[in-house]
Amino acid sequence: MNSTGTINTSHTHVLLIEDNPGDADLVRLRLIEGDSGVNVSSVNRLADGLASMAKEPPSVVLLDLNLPDSHGADTFRKVLEQAPGVPVVILSGQDDEVLAVKALHQGVQDYLVKGDITSNHLERAMRYAIERQALTRSLEMSRQQQLEFKNQFLSHVSHELRTPLTCIHQFVTILLDGLAGDINPEQRYHLGTVLNSVHQLRAMIRDLLEATRAESGKIRIEPRCIAIGDLIKQAASMMSATAKEKQVALEIGLDPRIPSVYADPDRVLQVLINLIDNGIKFTPSGGTVLVKACLAEADPSMVYVSVADTGRGIGPEAKALIFERLYQDPNSIDNRCAGLGLGLFISKELVELHGGRIWVASEIANGSTFSFTLPLYSLAKLLFPVITYEGQLRDAIVLVKVELTPLSNPPRTNWKDVCRQSLHTLHRCVYLDKDLVLPVMRNTDSNETFFVVASVDMERSEVMMKRIREQLEAGPGFRTAGVLKVSRSDVPLPSTGDSKSLKELVQTVAERITETVVLSLLSKPDPKVQTDA
Amino acid sequence: MEKSKILIIDDDPDLRRALKIRLRANNYETVQASDGYSAISVAQKEQPNLIILDLGLPAGDGFVVLERLQNSDTLSNIPVIVLTARDPQSNEQKTLQAGAAAFFQKPADNNELLDVIRATLPGTWPGTALPS
Repeated sequence: MNSTGTINTSHTHVLLIEDNPGDADLVRLRLIEGDSGVNVSSVNRLADGLASMAKEPPSVVLLDLNLPDSHGADTFRKVLEQAPGVPVVILSGQDDEVLAVKALHQGVQDYLVKGDITSNHLERAMRYAIERQALTRSLEMSRQQQLEFKNQFLSHVSHELRTPLTCIHQFVTILLDGLAGDINPEQRYHLGTVLNSVHQLRAMIRDLLEATRAESGKIRIEPRCIAIGDLIKQAASMMSATAKEKQVALEIGLDPRIPSVYADPDRVLQVLINLIDNGIKFTPSGGTVLVKACLAEADPSMVYVSVADTGRGIGPEAKALIFERLYQDPNSIDNRCAGLGLGLFISKELVELHGGRIWVASEIANGSTFSFTLPLYSLAKLLFPVITYEGQLRDAIVLVKVELTPLSNPPRTNWKDVCRQSLHTLHRCVYLDKDLVLPVMRNTDSNETFFVVASVDMERSEVMMKRIREQLEAGPGFRTAGVLKVSRSDVPLPSTGDSKSLKELVQTVAERITETVVLSLLSKPDPKVQTDA
Repeated sequence: MEKSKILIIDDDPDLRRALKIRLRANNYETVQASDGYSAISVAQKEQPNLIILDLGLPAGDGFVVLERLQNSDTLSNIPVIVLTARDPQSNEQKTLQAGAAAFFQKPADNNELLDVIRATLPGTWPGTALPS
């Protein structure tokens, strides 16, 4: 194939994957008869075909589905997986023609029934397969380009919109704050309306950019161990003014036993605020919005969060579409509720990025309940990719402790507080050595501590400790007024001999790390700990 | 006690005017620059106590200004607050790494901005005289 995507027979390389010698000969014969100048390599096992494709991608693959090492749909799936850009023509028997038709829907370009192959047939099928594949590729490329262009355009637009909006915001607040002279109550009221509209516009511009990012997979989340109850309280307090203004009661119901979740606090807050804001919007005065978090027996690895309102409810049609981008319930649009229709779409993307799901239960006139799930925090789950390799525990695991002690540190007295704080630190501050992305340490008047779990031996851990120290000292806001201490402790590994599953082994390591962290935070000097200072 | 002096670097004259009104009302003195090139010379001449910096600027954008400030013997200790229309996702960390003390996206909340100005100004609360 030449660069314009048309077939150029002198360079057409056909890979024939066919185990029946008679059929293979027949196809070769038809190709020669056609005198199309193609060169054919043929193999009779799928594995050999895949190897040949990896070495040199052919112009087209002629593929029999039933081979000694692969059968049926598996055969073409493996070929498409290995080389998604190479056109595939299936050589089917009478018995698997139905399957061949199905294959067309999954990316195979064409099929020929073996008994009916003529050289014209064969050549044309190959030509068209190559052409269509080139067309598909260029379509995909232009789709990507358009998406990229749209992203850049929206990012540019939202930047340009912000500049005049900032100006309006600045001068309205200057007038409202009386910096340009006194204003009367009526003027104040009108300016307040302008300011509200500025806030609405600002939120819309933010959502516009966020939705574009979600669409092109550019939203990043930074999950950590967080207390979902605290976030719900924070979201509720941020929304309390809006609720009060609308005379809607905003209530919280928290199960005190909910464990920590593994999530990005800023993003979860964004979802909560969005759902609460919607709830308030669609609930008449005197109604209630209730935010709850609980565990559900159906899925013990998730925490359930729900936002229920006593509003007008959502019909079945709207329910099916409500998480779609730009969707707005046609029955719900009035001036007070207008928006871009992006909030729930963004919320859905954010929840799914966390590995959770979001849904709504509602009936017309009976209120709506939006629910989403977030995964529970589990040290073992986080550790798994770091401390295992090819189905086994890694040889050595080291726990590095990083402490910043301000020079004027008040003595810690209350033992209860110390315990509570140490557990809090454990939940917040276990980092893995993958990219060595460390938290920023600023000089405050309290102790700051975090831990890094690394799968290195003692010798290499020294290099890592040096890097940690350098990185922190070079960080913004780091002043040398405090004492930075970086120390390490070997994590004793469980013996792999006694037929425990890998999952159990990782769990044991996680428990040992927890124990070491808690002990170390309780300030009991551990003779095994070495310090680099 | 002398008022703290704040240098506003932004190419939008309306926004500079607005910030000037807001900052003066909070007892700060202001000076201004409208592009990345003059920003440095104004900073050198005026020796402000704090700088508010836009990122999209003619003649050397905000990052160039940050770098020049950091590399200058006389200016590297002045706290810089970035105030920009650009999005935080791709700019906040970058500006903090480049030495900025804080990042705000326009339009920023006035009280939040004033709080951060107060917190980052070295040892001065406007309007309160320090005992000599």
